[in-house]
Amino acid sequence: MSQQILKVRPTKIELVNLKRRLSLSERVQKIVKDRLSILTMEFLQAAREAVEAREKLMKDFDAAYKALSVASGYHGYIALEKEMVAAGTGLKVDSSWRNIAGVRVPSFEMEEGKKEGRAYSMVDTSSLVDEAGRLFEECLKSVAGLAEAQRSLELLGMEINRSKRTANALEHIIIPGLRVTISYLKMKFEERDREEKGRLKRVKMLVARE
Amino acid sequence: MVAGIRYEKLLQECLKEELRIVNSGMPQSRKKLSELLCEARPYVPCHDGSKHFFKKQEIAYLAALLDASEREALLLPVIIMLEVGRGTMLIPCGEGVVEEKIISHVLGMPAACDAGIIRLYRPQLAVIRKKLKTTTQYAFSHSSGVVGV
Repeated sequence: MSQQILKVRPTKIELVNLKRRLSLSERVQKIVKDRLSILTMEFLQAAREAVEAREKLMKDFDAAYKALSVASGYHGYIALEKEMVAAGTGLKVDSSWRNIAGVRVPSFEMEEGKKEGRAYSMVDTSSLVDEAGRLFEECLKSVAGLAEAQRSLELLGMEINRSKRTANALEHIIIPGLRVTISYLKMKFEERDREEKGRLKRVKMLVARE
Repeated sequence: MVAGIRYEKLLQECLKEELRIVNSGMPQSRKKLSELLCEARPYVPCHDGSKHFFKKQEIAYLAALLDASEREALLLPVIIMLEVGRGTMLIPCGEGVVEEKIISHVLGMPAACDAGIIRLYRPQLAVIRKKLKTTTQYAFSHSSGVVGV
């Protein structure tokens, strides 16, 4: 692909500016490439984690619903629902941010404070309900883990796309354009020098003839 | 010509922004592990004004590995320096005893601290980042110093 020469004035100052711009662009290109490789590594890790979190979530929900089904079979739907209406949970999720090579990704963590007793009657229920409750709490932790991995994956993916565009623009358009313009200006100056030399020789000859 | 100059200016701004972004998450100051253990929501302020939060699980994991004096010596987040263009990854550490202990434990193999620097390979970096997500932080460095800060 032929590169377009930038429209600049053919002056030495412009040449110096272009050289400075080229060195900045090359420096940025190296940084963007390194950042891209780090982001890709983090993205792959986040993808692996998301898959693991999804599998864990499915297993947890499977176990929790099985336990709930056993509990509801033992106590009956109506009785269980009556107990569950009053039951509340004191679970809290800490949401915060962390920075991965300039990308801010969310971080969720279940707060594990002191657990108060369950809000339902201990007389009318059995350990089956406790077990179902415990398993559903595990499910909530898995949901938080999956949310974190999934959102990190999306944000890292978007940033990788953006960085790739920048890296490609630098590699295929900006840097070659600057190089071509610099070489064009150098040729122009050399040509000017040659013309100047020729002119001087001619003047010297004319002066010598007189 | 005017449009060209405007475009060039915009381009320069974009490139400078790229430099600024890469190290925006660098912490302004690091905190001791013992300090972070006492905080309800442990964090450090970053250069861009945001906060970098630590996971309590990770802090507890590190605390379990170290004794009281080592907890005083360990500064978090642990900085992983990436040398731009060379592809080398380093963990700068003063005397490096605590960092060396942690890295060795996480990797499951001895990590030698040579002249205040622990050198890492890419697969090792992935293992460290998997286990210490919030307690480690990347820093892109150039021969002229840390980029964009």
